Amino acid sequence: MTQLQARDVVRSYGRTPALRGVTLDLDEGEILAVTGPSGCGKSTLLHCLAGILRPDSGEVTWRGERIDTWSEAARSRLRRTEFGVLFQFGQLVAELTAAENVALPLLLAGTGRREARAVAASWLDRLGVGEVADVRPGEMSGGQQQRCAAARALVTGPRVLFADEPTGALDTLAGEQLLTTLVRLSREKGTSVVLVTHEPRIAAYADREVVLRDGTVDHSGLGVPSTGGHR
Amino acid sequence: MTPGALVRLALAGTRTDTARVLLTALSAVLAALAVLAAFTVLAIPTPPATADNPVRWSEHYSQALLREPGLRGGTAFALVLLTVPVLALAGQCARLGAPARDRRLAALRLAGATPRQVTWLAMLETGVASLLGTLTGLGLYLAARELLHRPDEHGRLALPTDVLPPVGALAAVVLGLPVVAGAATALMLRGVITTPLGVTRRAARERGPGPGAMVLIVVGAAVLVLGWPLLARWSAYGPSAALGPVFLVGGGLAALAGVVSAAGWFSYTTGRVLRRYARRPAALLAASRLMADPWAGSRTFAALLAAVTFGAGAAALRAHFVAQDELRREASRRVGVEAGDNPFYLATMTLVDLAVTVAVVIAAAGLLVAVVEGIVARRRAYAALVATGVPRGTLARSIAWQSVLPAVPAILLALAVGTLVARGLFGDATSGSYTSLVCDAGERLCSDPATRERYSRIVEVPATHRVPDVPLEHLALLGAGALAAVLVTVAVGLLFLRSSTAVEELRAT
Amino acid sequence: MSEVSTPHVLLGLLASGGRHGYELKRAYDARLPQARPLAFGQVYATLGRLERDGMVAVTGQERDGGPDRTTYALTDEGRAALDRWLSDVEPPLPYVASTLLAKVVVALLVADVDRARSCLVAQRQAHTARLRELTGVKHAPSATLDDVVAADYAIAHLDADLRWLATTLDRVADWHREVHP
Repeated sequence: MTQLQARDVVRSYGRTPALRGVTLDLDEGEILAVTGPSGCGKSTLLHCLAGILRPDSGEVTWRGERIDTWSEAARSRLRRTEFGVLFQFGQLVAELTAAENVALPLLLAGTGRREARAVAASWLDRLGVGEVADVRPGEMSGGQQQRCAAARALVTGPRVLFADEPTGALDTLAGEQLLTTLVRLSREKGTSVVLVTHEPRIAAYADREVVLRDGTVDHSGLGVPSTGGHR
Repeated sequence: MTPGALVRLALAGTRTDTARVLLTALSAVLAALAVLAAFTVLAIPTPPATADNPVRWSEHYSQALLREPGLRGGTAFALVLLTVPVLALAGQCARLGAPARDRRLAALRLAGATPRQVTWLAMLETGVASLLGTLTGLGLYLAARELLHRPDEHGRLALPTDVLPPVGALAAVVLGLPVVAGAATALMLRGVITTPLGVTRRAARERGPGPGAMVLIVVGAAVLVLGWPLLARWSAYGPSAALGPVFLVGGGLAALAGVVSAAGWFSYTTGRVLRRYARRPAALLAASRLMADPWAGSRTFAALLAAVTFGAGAAALRAHFVAQDELRREASRRVGVEAGDNPFYLATMTLVDLAVTVAVVIAAAGLLVAVVEGIVARRRAYAALVATGVPRGTLARSIAWQSVLPAVPAILLALAVGTLVARGLFGDATSGSYTSLVCDAGERLCSDPATRERYSRIVEVPATHRVPDVPLEHLALLGAGALAAVLVTVAVGLLFLRSSTAVEELRAT
Repeated sequence: MSEVSTPHVLLGLLASGGRHGYELKRAYDARLPQARPLAFGQVYATLGRLERDGMVAVTGQERDGGPDRTTYALTDEGRAALDRWLSDVEPPLPYVASTLLAKVVVALLVADVDRARSCLVAQRQAHTARLRELTGVKHAPSATLDDVVAADYAIAHLDADLRWLATTLDRVADWHREVHP
């Protein structure tokens, strides 16, 4: 069943067009890779789908409801409750410990500090970095930071996980371990994943691949259809 | 969010954030003291008119500014105006560590915090810091009241330590200033709130500022110079006591805002010119820095330019008073009286000059904060440059260039605007025509009503007016002082360059 | 991927003790799970050549109803040869030649840009599908480290091929202009 849809999404930065009309569906539980060369609009598409950016024109619908017209606050709440976001780097708050970072979405939603911390700690364990719960990001390795960020993206039990080059700053092995964990947890919970990457190796974790080129979906047969991988 | 979580997130921060909170509190102390002093002056009761005291003076003060009811409004107003540089200082302190905080708030937004939640966090920080500051200010004020309550041998007081503003006014200061500070913070955070990508992705680079600031200056000056006499004419028919300060403050702020935003244009333009002609790396670095963030100059110099504008206005006013005084004495001489100069206005101007000096010092403190902040905020870039072999001297020179170059035209503009507005507002020194009965004989004959008539004649004193001198010396002193403040703060700020360019900074987050 | 050097793998499998042909085949398939499966005939032919060259020696022969079971063991000479082989560095890609590359070159020569492009696109799809399949094999719960390491090897190469395909797709028009000036 289609959960998230983009219809003719257009978005520019100043005079530079990033997306020139992208149409895309995301099914429930599907892992979708968005690939393409640098500057093709991958990240912008992810930001539009996740409700971080508002498209200049076109529609983004979540379970049949248009979210691109929602207020900033409403989209923030949607991101907090239904979506999880994982970037290449820079999404952790440097001044908070790993556990506090992971607990953030819960705290913002009004969960008590003690409870939020306990849930956060359990997610850090699940991602294999339980030992850094009281460490600040500056003292962690890149891999630990990224796992911590992944725990934060998953802590609210999102319906969709948006990952923008999540392994970009990691070596092959660390990246692979992170991605394996992410894919396993997503499959367990039936979470959909939008995975933006330029690496074929990473895109291979997905059920389906969409290739962007110059801000539009490349239909020349580059995108590889679902092999029925997702269950 | 639960209150506990709110406080935890609001207080998450580094040493820079602690410094910002402390400086914000300090600014609140200063602002609270100035406003409390103004309220105290306004709280002085005017005694009922009696036979002894038909002008209703409060005779138990040694200062004319406090004694005469007509002067108290102006005194209070001047005290309130002193909060302008203080507020500018507070604004500069709010920039301290701002990149790190913007990053933190953007990260919070990415985690799903609503714009409102993020705004609340930032407002809470500023509000609590300001509340601590205003409470401290109130404490200092109450302590000073006790300490300075020293009547002289005639039982007269130098300061109005015998009156206390109403409790409502005190509460308004202590609680109102933090609210204003919080609101200002919310306003400054608009840019961050609209985008959770914050530093990850900036939208299109804003264009360089145009010379639109000049429009603000012209409007402000017009309001002051043209609006004020108009208002004065109306005031004969209706109550305009409330409108007067609104006009003064509104016009003054518009002109000030113009001067301050012109600094942005100066930064951009000097950057462009410098980039075209610069051959050395230091100048090139400075030029591109100036063009990349022209508003940094405005922010940095805001308080200083405000103080200089005021100072120039005060200098022009002093020149006006001097001219007026001379005119008056000339007129007196004509009727044969040798009047000594009237020290009242000039004494008042000395007080104003003192206030301007205080403001320049406060502004210099703000400037120092801004320069250090600028170096610390870009320490990664500087450390990277040093790591690739750029000598620290080159960086130091580029920082000096980028601070001093736009400062010079901005200070000159501030001096010009202050002088011209004051000139327009107060006009030429004039005295109206009048006739006077002069008795030319000695004191014995003149004091006798019988003989006085015979020796008296009517002297007509024509209306005169005199253009006050441009107080060049005073203005030069003020400009040189401001420039010296810039140079000193840059020199002090550069002391932080060495520690900020340690190559270890490359690893810092 | 270049061909596996079967004689040396067999020598290596014999290093831990003598085995007969059937055991060797099974061990080979287990250790190199994603390689082309080894045919029985090839095992015996290789062993015959190795015996002729004095690398291995027959140490026993038994026959219990089924096929002939000849046990082979490593000779000193064989051990020395194995050691030499392990010490030799493999020449990194001595000749740039692959069927894929050749096919695209020929497509450009005999046809137009579109033909070459569709050839690349089809290849990209096939590569991606295989990459996904191997990723699945690697992350299957039953995967052993043998599977993972072998899959890693193939994944890295497919990844490289896919990057090459992507860049070549971008260059194919210019390339065509160079071939047909």
